[in-house]
Amino acid sequence: MEKFTKAFPSKPLPSKTAKPWALAGVVGSGNLEVMLERGGKPSDAMECHVETSIPGYKASWLAALSDFAHHYPAGGTKVTINDQGAPPVLVNLRLRQAYDHLTKGDK
Amino acid sequence: MTGAILFHELTARQRVAALVDAGSFSELLPPPERITSPYLAQLGIPVSFDDGLVIGHARIGGKKIYLAAQVGQFVGGAVGEIHGAKLTGLFKAAARDKLPCVLIIESGGVRLHEGSSGEIAIAETMRAIFECRALKVPTIAVIATDIGAFGGIGILSTCCDFRIMTEHGRLGISGPIVIEKWMGKKAYDSANRALVWKTSGGKTKYLLGDADALVHDTADAVRDGISKFLGKSSAVSLVSVKARQKELQKRLKKFGAASDPDTVWKSMGVRDIQAASLASGPEFAALAKRGK
Amino acid sequence: MKKPTQKKPSARAVLARMFGATVEGISIEKSVLTGYAAVDGKKVCVIGTCDGTYIDNGAALRLAAHVIECIERAPKTPIVMLVDSAGQEPNRVAEMLGLASYFGHLLSCLELARRKGHKLITVATGQAVGGAFLCYGMFADRIYALDSASVGLMPIAAMSAVTKIPAPVLEKLSKTMPSLEFGAAPFALLGGVEEVWSASDDIQAKLAAAIAASSTEDNRAELGKKRGGRKLALDIRKKVLAESAR
Repeated sequence: MEKFTKAFPSKPLPSKTAKPWALAGVVGSGNLEVMLERGGKPSDAMECHVETSIPGYKASWLAALSDFAHHYPAGGTKVTINDQGAPPVLVNLRLRQAYDHLTKGDK
Repeated sequence: MTGAILFHELTARQRVAALVDAGSFSELLPPPERITSPYLAQLGIPVSFDDGLVIGHARIGGKKIYLAAQVGQFVGGAVGEIHGAKLTGLFKAAARDKLPCVLIIESGGVRLHEGSSGEIAIAETMRAIFECRALKVPTIAVIATDIGAFGGIGILSTCCDFRIMTEHGRLGISGPIVIEKWMGKKAYDSANRALVWKTSGGKTKYLLGDADALVHDTADAVRDGISKFLGKSSAVSLVSVKARQKELQKRLKKFGAASDPDTVWKSMGVRDIQAASLASGPEFAALAKRGK
Repeated sequence: MKKPTQKKPSARAVLARMFGATVEGISIEKSVLTGYAAVDGKKVCVIGTCDGTYIDNGAALRLAAHVIECIERAPKTPIVMLVDSAGQEPNRVAEMLGLASYFGHLLSCLELARRKGHKLITVATGQAVGGAFLCYGMFADRIYALDSASVGLMPIAAMSAVTKIPAPVLEKLSKTMPSLEFGAAPFALLGGVEEVWSASDDIQAKLAAAIAASSTEDNRAELGKKRGGRKLALDIRKKVLAESAR
């Protein structure tokens, strides 16, 4: 297991979201779950907590998260990830899915 | 809406959302509470925010229910201490509030990584299920995937009032690989999908009367199936257990020496095995007369 | 924890320790026990397994039939359930016929007995493993075990084989995680067993006291928390009940 925490600068989240939290994905082989929650501090940073069963890929995690924080206004959110070896493309997809659920609701 | 996607392809959370009245689900011990398994963490296995079980209350067709859905992808949907305690608590809540409790099963049984704790939790949940039944609170198990209901959860599913299955669902105690290991590949080839499904699949279970409904593999069909049982319960009485004893005795006598599941299908009125194998759940149910 | 060193006693010898001369009322057929005996002069119904046998569909039916008979012929007689079974046999015909349903039926019969005022007491006398323990023994009001009994999900070697986690890792963890350890004592720490009886105990007196003290309230989660082997279950259950009551 590898565990790390890092905050990335990001434009503030819209003041109103559909839900206080959202979850995308499941923990399973080659998959991950991503939870996004409102109320992270400060409002101009995305606070990330990652736990992964595959150690040694911290650099690509940081790149994926930094990229997301740059492209989406996600400041003031807390991102928590439980990973069981998901490929980077899936990480990206789950982040976007969770963000959509959070801001627009499930449907 | 969800009709195009097969029920067995959905995740647990998607299943819940697809089954209940829109927006009616309220989750208990939701992911932000982060009640995760300290045991898996010690073993270096990733944890999940819901420990593989989504629980809450919702409405189906306006009727309030308690609902649980197991996450099959997460350690095989297996029951650890937290997962099991959530399940026990939910059935106890259902008994207290006299509300039906629906369990969307997808579990191989006890989570081995947490040893005997999960086993005790399953036993405790069985007690809670029978608490519901004594109060005529309906308990409904849905078994719709190939992970199915096995081990202790297979036994637990048979404690509920009703079981709804799809043709993808499987119900048993020992899974195919365990049987093959025990009996040898010659006697039981776990790669023989037809044999495996005829041993523990929804069609055979429905024929024998162990599944109370065999429905299409869609959320709409599963919801319709659940709706039909929400107002019903199956009391445990002297009359009911004596009838069941007779029925199970008859089944054992008739098929105890059967080497081939086709024997069971034929004797239960299935004429064209090939066509029946290919038929959808409801078509199959129509093809065969129900075994009693 | 003491390891049993004595030779495994025969099924009859174990029964005699519990029921004295009244053991004659218990018949053993294909390692399935059914009958009636007496504890402290009072009649009890006995069902169970011995010789570490595998429970199959037929065995489950014979146990169920005896419970039904007891409900009909001997109302409110306490039912003592003895467990010495290695599990269910992974057999494809048994599975095809719905072994799980046979077990569910046995549990339903026991539930009916409980509702009709029969006390249900389990004593794990030999192997009390996995599905074989779940299908009747663990459904009792109160569960006891002889200290020589092998109680639990499965031994660490088997657990290691299935989970692919090296046995030494599991061995080491089991020192702080009683749920991984195999045996009556760690199972009691989890609350799964009320009390472990040792070779020097007066088993007949213990059994009489157990029947007298029995309650239909499932206390296992409370015990598990109190004894420290299963610290989370009770609080999580309570949390579900509290959150859902809001």
